Amino acid sequence: MFLDLLFLISAALTILGTLLVVFSKNLLHACVYLLASFIGVAGLYVTLGADFIAAIQLVVYAGGVVILMLFAIMLTGGNSGPEKLKSFALGFAPEMGNSKTYTLAFLSAGVFSSIVGYLIFSTVGNVSEKSLQPFVSTVETLGKKLITEHVLVFEISSVLLLGALVGAAIIARPNKSNL
Amino acid sequence: MNQTIVSYLESVLKFEFSPVVVALVFLVAIVVVIGALATIGGLGTYAERKISADLQARQGPNRVGPYGILQFLADGVKMIMKEDIVPRNADKMIFAIAPALCLMGVLGSLAVVPFSSGFILTDLNIGVLYLLGVSSLVGVGIFLGGYASNSKWSLLGGMRGASQIISYEIPVTITIIGIVIIAGGLSFKTFIQGQTGLPHGWYIFHNPFTFIAFFVYFIGALAETNRAPFDLPEAESELVSGYHTEYSGMRFAFFALAEYIEVFVVCGVAVAIFLGGYLVPFALGGETIWGQLLQLGSFFTKTFLLYYVVIWVRWTLPRLRVDQVMTLCWKYLTPIALFNLLGIAVWIWAFDGSSIFDLLTSSSGSSSH
Repeated sequence: MFLDLLFLISAALTILGTLLVVFSKNLLHACVYLLASFIGVAGLYVTLGADFIAAIQLVVYAGGVVILMLFAIMLTGGNSGPEKLKSFALGFAPEMGNSKTYTLAFLSAGVFSSIVGYLIFSTVGNVSEKSLQPFVSTVETLGKKLITEHVLVFEISSVLLLGALVGAAIIARPNKSNL
Repeated sequence: MNQTIVSYLESVLKFEFSPVVVALVFLVAIVVVIGALATIGGLGTYAERKISADLQARQGPNRVGPYGILQFLADGVKMIMKEDIVPRNADKMIFAIAPALCLMGVLGSLAVVPFSSGFILTDLNIGVLYLLGVSSLVGVGIFLGGYASNSKWSLLGGMRGASQIISYEIPVTITIIGIVIIAGGLSFKTFIQGQTGLPHGWYIFHNPFTFIAFFVYFIGALAETNRAPFDLPEAESELVSGYHTEYSGMRFAFFALAEYIEVFVVCGVAVAIFLGGYLVPFALGGETIWGQLLQLGSFFTKTFLLYYVVIWVRWTLPRLRVDQVMTLCWKYLTPIALFNLLGIAVWIWAFDGSSIFDLLTSSSGSSSH
């Protein structure tokens, strides 16, 4: 009963949040709706028994990515017409969507949903109804697999992150000759 | 999932609960926890004033109730009666959501705080990760609050708050990972069961690295809760009062309450992972209800001692500059935390997980033979 309820709430939160992201006029509001959608996805992971992924979803997406997006919106700014200069920061939040972004979003959504649809509909006929597996923690399994079987992927992704960090430090470093 | 209060009550009352009763027990427990923590948050404001007054040789609040202890109720009533002002050029939706996000993050983290072995709302097997994830919502709330207010001071405060919180999450998380290596699990019960009631078995005294790790965690936690000397986001002398400059009435009270409850949660986590948690010396009281009460007493005593230290630090140290805060995080705490992580891993590998106390007693025992 609890799992059904949790599933319904998180699915509703995810779908509503995503719809609001797409249809909201203001990029800043879209970011907040995206936060609700991320939390809903974390709830969906919990109903699937993927506890570690759910926590990481909260830590990385709800905590990190949303703040990153908000910073990006605030610092890059958008169409700041003369009437919007009165407001210090909010006026800089760009409007959501013009024909270019809608076309791109429609194309990418089409490609992605056709892939996901292909995966789902290929399995939807031949799944027999089973009772839910007893809950097993995924943390230890994931940790062992990451360090043993998939250690190359793990290391390559960490080198990628290190590269991003070094690159950011080099870009942000003050130019000595201009000081 | 581990339904801890429910399973404890079931084992005590020898009675199988139906799902509806389980839901009711949870509801009552949640109401109790939130009520108690809201009171603690309110009393936190009183303690803050009283201790600051003590440190500055003043009286502090002394009019409402005995020793002014009901001051926080008077403040609450004042906050409710105040006019709720929304600036005309503010982003109204986000302005309304931001304090709720802050409070939501903090109250959500209460679900895994281990008050005693029987009284913990749920003992998630990813407890610490959940806590880190949920409490990062506070950063979003602070940033949105500052951004939506549409004022220079609020914007600067919100930016400082967000950057400070996501920066200091890194040393704090790395420090906690070190303890995860020792305990071998992510749930708070795993942490606490690896320790003992007396200080010799606490993780803070497990090895030299965890001793440093405790202070790294504590400094990082101070910065994450925006407490002085890291209260840059609400620096009065520079930013009026930072991200909540434009807030009034209950919305401001939500921010303040979230801050004080978060300080309690952060101190409780420090107690749980470094200072033996709810464990009582010699396991006094055992599994009975008295044992539970003693455990509650143990947890709250340690947590309130740390709470006192937090307030003490606030009224003793001057505020840092913005660049100093960032320098402290990225050039000192993060490398120290990484070094600690490596040191703890090497220690666990070299001494097979035994603490420094184990090593001392076993070496003295073998030399006496």
